[in-house]
Amino acid sequence: MIYDVRQTTVCSYATPVSHAHHVLRLTPVSRDGERVQVAALQIIPEPVQRREGEDFFGNRLTWIEIEEPHSEVTVKLSARVAVDTPDELAPLSTPPWEQVRDEASSISDIGPLSPAHFLFPSRIVSLDPAIRDYIRESFPPGRPILDAALEVITRIKTDLVYEIGSTTPTTTPKMCFAQRRGVCQDFAHVMISGLRGIGLPGAYVSGYLRTVSLTDQPRLQGADAMHAWVMLWCGAKLGWIGLDPTNAVLASDAHVMLAFGRDYTDVAPMDGVILGSGGQRIAVSVNVIPVG
Amino acid sequence: MATDANIQVEPRVEPSDAGLKALVSGYRPLPGVFDEMMDADGRVRAHWQPFLAMLGALGSDEINRRFAAADRYLRDSGVFYRVYEDAAGIERPWPLSHVPLIIDPGEWRQLVAGLTQRAQLLEAVLADCYGPATLTREGRLPAAVIAGNPEFLRPLVDVAPPGGAHLRFYAVDVGRGADGRWWVLGDRTQAPSGAGYAIENRLALSRAIPDIYRTTQVERVAAFFQALQAEIFALNHRDDARACLLTPGPLNETYFEHAYLARYLGLLLVEGEDLSVEDDGVFIRTVSGLRRTEVLLRRIDADFADPLELNAASRLGVPGLLQAVRDGKITIINSLGAGLVEARAMLAFLPALAPVVLGAELKMPNVATWWLGSAATREQMLGRFDTMVIAPAFTEQFDDPHPRSGILGAKLDTAQRKTLVQSIRDRGIDYVAQEAVTLSSMPVWRDGRLQPRPFTLRLYIAKTGDRWRVMPGGFVRIADTIDARAVSLQQGAATADAWVLARGPVPETTLLPTAEAMPVQRASGLLPSRAADNLFWVGRYVERAEATLRLIRAIVNRVADSAAAPVIARITSLLVAWNAAPSDTFQAPATFTARAVLTRADLDGALPRLCAAARSAASVIRDRFSPDAWRAISDLVDMISSPLPPGPAESAIAERVEAALRIIASFSGLAQENMTQLAGWRFLELGRRIERAVLTCRLTRCFAEPGAPEGSLDLLLELADSQISYRQRYVMIAALKPVIDLVMLDPNNPRSVEFQLERIETHLGALPKQNPEGRLSPAQQIAASAATLLRTTNADEVDDKLIIDIENALMKLSDAVSAAFLTNNKRTEPTWEALA
Repeated sequence: MIYDVRQTTVCSYATPVSHAHHVLRLTPVSRDGERVQVAALQIIPEPVQRREGEDFFGNRLTWIEIEEPHSEVTVKLSARVAVDTPDELAPLSTPPWEQVRDEASSISDIGPLSPAHFLFPSRIVSLDPAIRDYIRESFPPGRPILDAALEVITRIKTDLVYEIGSTTPTTTPKMCFAQRRGVCQDFAHVMISGLRGIGLPGAYVSGYLRTVSLTDQPRLQGADAMHAWVMLWCGAKLGWIGLDPTNAVLASDAHVMLAFGRDYTDVAPMDGVILGSGGQRIAVSVNVIPVG
Repeated sequence: MATDANIQVEPRVEPSDAGLKALVSGYRPLPGVFDEMMDADGRVRAHWQPFLAMLGALGSDEINRRFAAADRYLRDSGVFYRVYEDAAGIERPWPLSHVPLIIDPGEWRQLVAGLTQRAQLLEAVLADCYGPATLTREGRLPAAVIAGNPEFLRPLVDVAPPGGAHLRFYAVDVGRGADGRWWVLGDRTQAPSGAGYAIENRLALSRAIPDIYRTTQVERVAAFFQALQAEIFALNHRDDARACLLTPGPLNETYFEHAYLARYLGLLLVEGEDLSVEDDGVFIRTVSGLRRTEVLLRRIDADFADPLELNAASRLGVPGLLQAVRDGKITIINSLGAGLVEARAMLAFLPALAPVVLGAELKMPNVATWWLGSAATREQMLGRFDTMVIAPAFTEQFDDPHPRSGILGAKLDTAQRKTLVQSIRDRGIDYVAQEAVTLSSMPVWRDGRLQPRPFTLRLYIAKTGDRWRVMPGGFVRIADTIDARAVSLQQGAATADAWVLARGPVPETTLLPTAEAMPVQRASGLLPSRAADNLFWVGRYVERAEATLRLIRAIVNRVADSAAAPVIARITSLLVAWNAAPSDTFQAPATFTARAVLTRADLDGALPRLCAAARSAASVIRDRFSPDAWRAISDLVDMISSPLPPGPAESAIAERVEAALRIIASFSGLAQENMTQLAGWRFLELGRRIERAVLTCRLTRCFAEPGAPEGSLDLLLELADSQISYRQRYVMIAALKPVIDLVMLDPNNPRSVEFQLERIETHLGALPKQNPEGRLSPAQQIAASAATLLRTTNADEVDDKLIIDIENALMKLSDAVSAAFLTNNKRTEPTWEALA
């Protein structure tokens, strides 16, 4: 499936900002299952400095510095991305989860996609015992890992209420789980916390959902905005498999990846340090249109 | 030699066998513990005997007196540490245990060899982890041991550290086991603390017992720091660059040490916001504009170093610093990411890595450690659970001096044990098992006698040129109890000096760097804008405090005089307007008002808040004050915040006001005499002069207006401290025009507004030029026109409007100084609304 992705991000300030440094993670890159045919970022006001690079996990970074006084920053992404249809999977024939756990902790690969990076607590994902015990219910001894993970996403969608505005980007999985509500980011964090709690490697993915659903499929939660889901490493043979706990589905060709990391803070679309006082608001609009 | 005269002053101590015997008579090593001073048969070890014979010869009373002198020295030098968890940031006196640890030269050589080898090993392991990762790919170091470490900085993978080394200043905590061998307990590679305190411990002790110190042929540590300094300066390649020490700021528990080391090593003490990353390097924001730096000795943890790529919530770091590192523009000591090898989990692998990396076994073992991430090891260790210490595999965020979070398996009850075993089975990757080490003991002086206490020793090693150099000495931490477990300064333990005995005579060198070894510092006046800003505000707060104290004094002096009631009412209304007195004070007796201004911490114009604000601004730039000047401000805060006897007690109020004014006078004198930072002193002065001019204008408007009550002019002369000048000029009672002339216009009265403006002009003229074409700066223009206005005005032309014009000009002047030199922006980071 090929998509045209348009994202407009506007960060506006209550009082003018005289100087700003930002790092943007708003450009998709080609990776396994996804090829970026073209991608461009337009930034207003024009930065005095702009550098492109990539982070450890292979995500595209854009560093910018704005020196003129400004009341808002606008970042526009235009991209064309081809997403492969994932292979059919047989959940019951995936390896027992304990085998994956031991394989991950003893692995000798330290490269960007190594599961070793995704086994530990990260900046926003602490290992909460309550979440761990909740996830563990789906992982009796010897159960095939993907079979268990599919049950987990179904349970999360059933047990947690999707409610925009119930959380913020700094909400921890522990807080979300305690209140049993949140948005895609929170659901992904909860699942990752639980998986890591029992020693399994879970990664966080930011990206987009196809805006217009095909007529024979239900509309997915999280379209029209940035979306987030989970990848679970299922052993060296299967590698990383995408799971969307917000919609209780395997990631499909309706999921367009933007960035991949240990949690939200690794892929936050716009970080920065500004000189100024007063608050700021960020508005995001997203369009992901199939073109073929 | 010039110092010989001084040596003669102290009577020479003759070693005394009887004294030694008396000193150790009640001393018994703890059961099953190796004692540094005494062997198992109760004999004093040979290398301790000369020291103890001389110490014993002093006698108990003299020992107490000498040790008290060391404490006094530390207090007078302002040595303290801060209790981190304490929100009030309480500073504790430095806990020096006066008996040094004495190390035999032969044993020291072994420690040096072990340390040097370990430094080489860790450097090689770091280079591999951040480079080819051969050790991991060959299965010698599990990927999870690196990936699980919060100090593994992914943005710096495949980046060679600028300057070519990860480690340049490294510390090792060692302890001696019951078998008499030294063991490495932990590595400190991130930003090791304690070296500055070790210098202070040495200075304090060498001054308290100079005779014993000299006779006992102790290796000096000064040369080590000279070499370190030379190394740091050599990394600064450009002539215009300045080496810095990057501190997280005064709230850090070891901030004193940061300021001390910066001064000792000739580094500029900076915080993150002092630095700016530009496309061609890293620069210091100073009052003279941007100045380059190429070397940072850092005391902030790496995760806080760059909010753009590391911890986005960090306010301590420098945006873009990682990019500067990748571009090779800045050498950081130790490299960002060097904390990786501090992890306990590393201890499990280093012994086996040494032969692979260095081709040799470790010369000094580290405490036996097993990482529980491997299934086989996990089961094996769970079988030996009771005899093992279980501890987190990775380093805590803060500088944890000892494996304090370790738990001895045998000490757990059934429920705790079950929980921990389950956690280990779930996530063995988070844990290590370590063999329990019983630390050796050394003597401390308690209750007039020596007693054994367990301790750890921190040793320092620096890369100088191509070789490693070990500081001949160390930083000893002593447990407060005889239980040989966690030793931490935060938990009330003490510190001691370590004396490495020399084989032969030691050259008499001073700890202060020798004149010829001190590099020329071209930019000694370099003043970060943040420091200037704080100095400016210290000046303003101190001046405001002084004026407020004078107003209280004026009230107290007039309480007994019923005719003075109208004047007191006018003072009170001024104090209320300054928010120094509560607004309901008018009905209350005058002493009530005076007491409120002196004690009310809820009014931002009252003394407690003014003094605290002065101290808080000063604390940020403590390195710029002499210890005496800093102590004056501290004393002022202490005195103002101590309780005042209840009741009217005019005399108590009056005494306190006088004492406070005396402290302020001594602060002013010390600042005038002792502030070597030229530009810094000028900002302090600018703050004071601007504040004084503004306040004098206000007092004049209040007390020299036609409707002012009887006695107001005398009061104005008193407040402006100008009675003597007045009486010298006019042998008569205070009259309006002469008084106005004296306090507003007279350029020869050091309290007049005109005098302040002239001083302000002088200071502004001496500050770094902002306008290359020679025009007056905006601040200079304002000062010049205000001064001219006063110079061309006669006393009878001075009215409210003119004084208000001058006040407004002074406010604009303050803003112009801020805009031109100081930091007036606050940094914030964007926060996000929910995404989806």
